[in-house]
Amino acid sequence: MKVLATYNIKGGVGKTSAAVNLAALAAGDGLRTLLWDLDPQGAASFLFRVRPKVRGGGRKLVRGRSDVADVLRGTDVEGLDLLPADFSYRHMDLVLDESGRPSRRLRKVLAPLEDHYDLAVLDCPPSISLVSESVFDLADALLVPLIPSTLTLRTFQQLGDFVETEVDHRPEIVAFFSMVDWRKRLHREVVETLPDGRDDIARTAIPAATEVELMGVSRSPVVVDKPRSRGARAYAALWAEVRERLAI
Amino acid sequence: MPLDVPTFSYALPDGVDPPGLVAFLRERFDVEAGRATAVTFTVVDTADRRVRDAGADLVLAGTKTPELVLHLAPGAAPLAATAPRTKRWRVEDLPPGPLRDHLAPVIEMRALLSLARVRAEVSAGNVRNADLKTVVRLRLATHAALDTGGEPAPLTSRVEVSGVLGYPKPLARVVAVLTAEAGLVEAPASMADEAIAASGGDPRGIRSKVDVELDPEMRTDRAAIAVLRELADFVEANLPGTLADLDTEFLHDLRVAVRRSRSVLRELKGAFAAEPLQCQRDALRWIQAITSDTRDLDVQLLEWDELVAAVPAERHAALQPARRLLVRHRAAALRRLKVELRGKAYRDAWAGYRAFLDGKLGPARDRPDAKRPLGDVAGERIRKVYKRMVAMGAAIDDDSPAESLHELRKRGKELRYLLEFFGDLWPASVAKPMVKTLKGLQDVLGTHQDREVQADHLRGLAEELAGVVGGPEALLVLGVLVDRLGAEQREARAHFAESFAAFAAADQRKLVSSTFRGPSG
Repeated sequence: MKVLATYNIKGGVGKTSAAVNLAALAAGDGLRTLLWDLDPQGAASFLFRVRPKVRGGGRKLVRGRSDVADVLRGTDVEGLDLLPADFSYRHMDLVLDESGRPSRRLRKVLAPLEDHYDLAVLDCPPSISLVSESVFDLADALLVPLIPSTLTLRTFQQLGDFVETEVDHRPEIVAFFSMVDWRKRLHREVVETLPDGRDDIARTAIPAATEVELMGVSRSPVVVDKPRSRGARAYAALWAEVRERLAI
Repeated sequence: MPLDVPTFSYALPDGVDPPGLVAFLRERFDVEAGRATAVTFTVVDTADRRVRDAGADLVLAGTKTPELVLHLAPGAAPLAATAPRTKRWRVEDLPPGPLRDHLAPVIEMRALLSLARVRAEVSAGNVRNADLKTVVRLRLATHAALDTGGEPAPLTSRVEVSGVLGYPKPLARVVAVLTAEAGLVEAPASMADEAIAASGGDPRGIRSKVDVELDPEMRTDRAAIAVLRELADFVEANLPGTLADLDTEFLHDLRVAVRRSRSVLRELKGAFAAEPLQCQRDALRWIQAITSDTRDLDVQLLEWDELVAAVPAERHAALQPARRLLVRHRAAALRRLKVELRGKAYRDAWAGYRAFLDGKLGPARDRPDAKRPLGDVAGERIRKVYKRMVAMGAAIDDDSPAESLHELRKRGKELRYLLEFFGDLWPASVAKPMVKTLKGLQDVLGTHQDREVQADHLRGLAEELAGVVGGPEALLVLGVLVDRLGAEQREARAHFAESFAAFAAADQRKLVSSTFRGPSG
């Protein structure tokens, strides 16, 4: 089972949108896919109409005291299951801190599912914390959405430095531009110039598109609901690129 | 840890159509149902139904750009890939991707064939909960088989009900309503099976394993004829695919059925009168002989990749002239084979053999084993062949010629067939370990002989190869391969003593002699 995580220290950059759409595309390709909504806000769970509640609570799950199979939920996308969010995830740092080898805890939660899924996509909360360290330990690759701005490169560099110096197991990092507004000169300039010569930024950029924002209303991934829309096509291109790059 | 969600398939009773069932369910659940779409598709599988046996369904759908669509499990997203229009698809004909990756280990060298055309009206439906989340999936379908030689034949209308992980209660409620209130019963067979049967095919596919009810008390001649008739059916079933060269296994299975038939005729010869028996054994030996060249070349080509893996990848290209030569030889052998199999001699030989199986076998006084209980005769043969193998193997030492090992292997095949056909007459606790040690021995003997045959074949290419472009370079690399085959043959020989010792162990000998006895003791 390959593990991808959508991650950024900042919130509101398109992590959840990327996670749900890439997971839906993976399932559409026939991969048995699991999406883990690690964000206590539960946006991914909401999008799939699954109650953001883990039976027995997040603490028990992370500490290995409840069976992960009991808390999984099938989504409306065939082949895609969800490990839902739970509001108690807001205290996950504390739970991890209490347990031995906190960076290994999330890996242990997924271990029993290894043979059941080809791909797990982790939708991470925005922070840099024990949770993210545990995700870094588990993930084969971090998908980092970047909103084009002058500070983008700096933030991204910081993440790279952190992973390089602080994390034993180093996931591959693949950034992509997200919520790109092509009407803005700054966005155009950053997107067109930054990837030059860098192999850690995907060629595909996800546009700021109404249909993506409307996912909160339709409660369905845009790649399922409006597969021919601009946003859906961009996610499909990003998925193809990620799949090829990470040999999924 | 089970994650699978159950799926139930129910037949719609006469007079109930899919819209009627949806209306019935809507009175009780929030059902979202899509429009029915009419599609025509083709059931695709290998001749021996490997895809079905792997628990999957494969169809060819779409007219403008046909796609092969593989349904791995109910509830899982299907895999699809565009498929070129052709009479068969081998793994190499499929575009690279997940569908090919899934099918390759399932079908191996077999070709995917169109087995039945079906017209369907399909609609999907979802039962939703209060959050409008899908908690049960429905798939409603009516089908008709098209290739019936007449009017389309309606097949069972079905509703497939699949659960969604984490929502067992709504599934239980829907199932309870469908079975208890609507009175639906489980659908009889898979739609693909029904369609194949309605199109005149055998849903089980072309089989190669004899499945005849035998018991130790039955007359030996009747048992032999029952087994031989089924084997003759296998020969006939594999003939069209052999002539059409759909894949290599039609010929392989045809030959195996002929070889097994010869083995039954030899081992149970006392059940038949001597003269017609000899005539039929000669006929089958001839069929075996005319099919040998093509099969030998098939084996060479099937094992080519594994064989050349023994030399570094950068030298593989140098071997291409040798492979092209094998392909040319194979095409020529197949042409000769087709002429033979379509010729009068084959027709007469086969008709004669069939008449022998279906006709009178002659007075029992000319057939000493005819009336004897099968358990007695088969047990005697198993004991004798085993004993003979033990004696032959014990006489083999480091100086024995390769021929002695080949002879032992031939006897081993006899024993294997005896155990395959008649082993079930005795307790599995005895037959199984015997088959295991026999298999171990046969593997060693098989490798020993196959490597020699392969090396001989490669050497046989030398003269012709020397005269073609790139031939001399190919010859150099072939030399390396021949050396390698020689080394593997020696290695197999080194393992002989060990595997023979297991096969001929004292406790096994004792067990064989005390167990394989018939009702008369």
